[in-house]
Amino acid sequence: MIKFDNVTYVYPTGVKALNSVSVEIGRGELVALMGENGAGKTTFIKHLNGLLKPTSGNVYVDGKDTKTLSVAQLSRIVGVVFQNADDMFFLPTVEEEVAFSLRNLGFSEDVVQRRVDWSLKFMELEEYRNRSPFLLSGGEKKRLALAIILAWNPQVIAMDEPTVGQDSMQKEKLKEMIKQLNLQGRTVIISTHDVEFVAELKPRVILMSKGRIIADGKAEFILTDGELLSSCSILMPQVAATMSRLADLGFNAKVISVEEAVRNIVEGLRGLEHTRRA
Amino acid sequence: MSILEGLKFYAGDTAIHKLDPRVKFLVSMLMLIIVVMYAEVWMLTILIAVQAAIVYVAKVMRRWLKTIKGSMPLAALVFGLNAIFFISTGTYTTLQEVFYHSLALAYRLVLFLSSFSIFFLTTTPEEIGLTLTSWHVPYQYTFAFISAIRFTPIIAQELRDIMDAQRARGVELDRGGPLQRARKFIPILVPLLANALKRAYELAEAMEVKCFGAAKKRTSLMELKARPKDYAVLLTALVFFGLAVYYRLFPF
Repeated sequence: MIKFDNVTYVYPTGVKALNSVSVEIGRGELVALMGENGAGKTTFIKHLNGLLKPTSGNVYVDGKDTKTLSVAQLSRIVGVVFQNADDMFFLPTVEEEVAFSLRNLGFSEDVVQRRVDWSLKFMELEEYRNRSPFLLSGGEKKRLALAIILAWNPQVIAMDEPTVGQDSMQKEKLKEMIKQLNLQGRTVIISTHDVEFVAELKPRVILMSKGRIIADGKAEFILTDGELLSSCSILMPQVAATMSRLADLGFNAKVISVEEAVRNIVEGLRGLEHTRRA
Repeated sequence: MSILEGLKFYAGDTAIHKLDPRVKFLVSMLMLIIVVMYAEVWMLTILIAVQAAIVYVAKVMRRWLKTIKGSMPLAALVFGLNAIFFISTGTYTTLQEVFYHSLALAYRLVLFLSSFSIFFLTTTPEEIGLTLTSWHVPYQYTFAFISAIRFTPIIAQELRDIMDAQRARGVELDRGGPLQRARKFIPILVPLLANALKRAYELAEAMEVKCFGAAKKRTSLMELKARPKDYAVLLTALVFFGLAVYYRLFPF
């Protein structure tokens, strides 16, 4: 679905934000892009819909070189939700905001109406459809930004720091929506620092540092490697940190989600009790 | 956007950075007056050469060139509008003259911006504030001015982010006729204005928390003091300025 082929990107200021990045992301994958500030995550995301074109190397989206397509053409395939949702809003109502993008992309009026209804319902924003986007809470704004992108049904959804400024309940909602979108077969790419959020999603993790990919694999392996994470100024999720301390007692240290940790601990304790009885 | 880079201070330890900001401001103003007095390409070229020498000593050549590069679209507009005006009014008879005078006016604009750029590239916002305060400009206005300078690069970055966010939802800013293109800027300008107002409100709150305006008489940790070196620079600039004025009034 997405292929970065030896991509290097240098900003006009001379900063090399991506350095020989090669990676492939398949259709229907759930990927978390992680790394410290300035690692190149946002630059990576901006290459997905052609906002940035590689200084050298190539990015392919659905087999097409991004250098040959416009941002509008690529946006039909890759929907990008940026960190600051406020940057998107300029219309009087939530409904009009969603419809605006669809009209830009050339959908007919009846399709526009259907898609607006669907995306507002999916993001649980129906009750706010006639409200000003500027009057929504931080979490609702984030959901509206996602609703705007989802409305035209892109195959790939990329989100830059989706959890910034979100309370726990909003994060939970966002997590469930990401899971649902992924279950529907969409490729979802999130760029984030939020290890706890990633741990519960259990995606493929691509770890970046100084413009390079330094690790790529299952969340269970990357998020339990303390040394690797600290090299990118990231801490282990709390569950992983707890389980790694319990590893000496025979517990599985490669656990990152609460449910799995509970199951492991319960099984471990049962095992201990059996041994004691025997 | 690169034109805004010329309004940003970059720390340095050169003789130009160390000059009294008041002297730097006055020298910039003298250069501006010469630019206003002369619409001759040769004089403007001498001025830009002098500026280039100052910029070289201040080690901000790359950023200064960026300002000049950024001013090119505006200069091209000035050139085009003046050429149309000169041709339509018949001010000049030959195309060569129209070209020369339009070029001189565009050149003037570039110099106007580059003169200011040198001052801003080598002077901290605090020094600008001290300069204005030393000339008895009320601190509220000084603060507003230096805040505007400080926020310019931030707003420029915000503008870029908003443009990216709108392009990601299918807004094609560089397609269509002039009217269509102008309309496409509404999705850019509304969020920019909304964000700027929000930022202004937050800044006002932060200033209130820090008791801005509580003391009637302000003191300053840093005091500006002109040294012999500063007077020498000012004197040299005044001599050159005097020569420029003399030549304007009594050409050889």
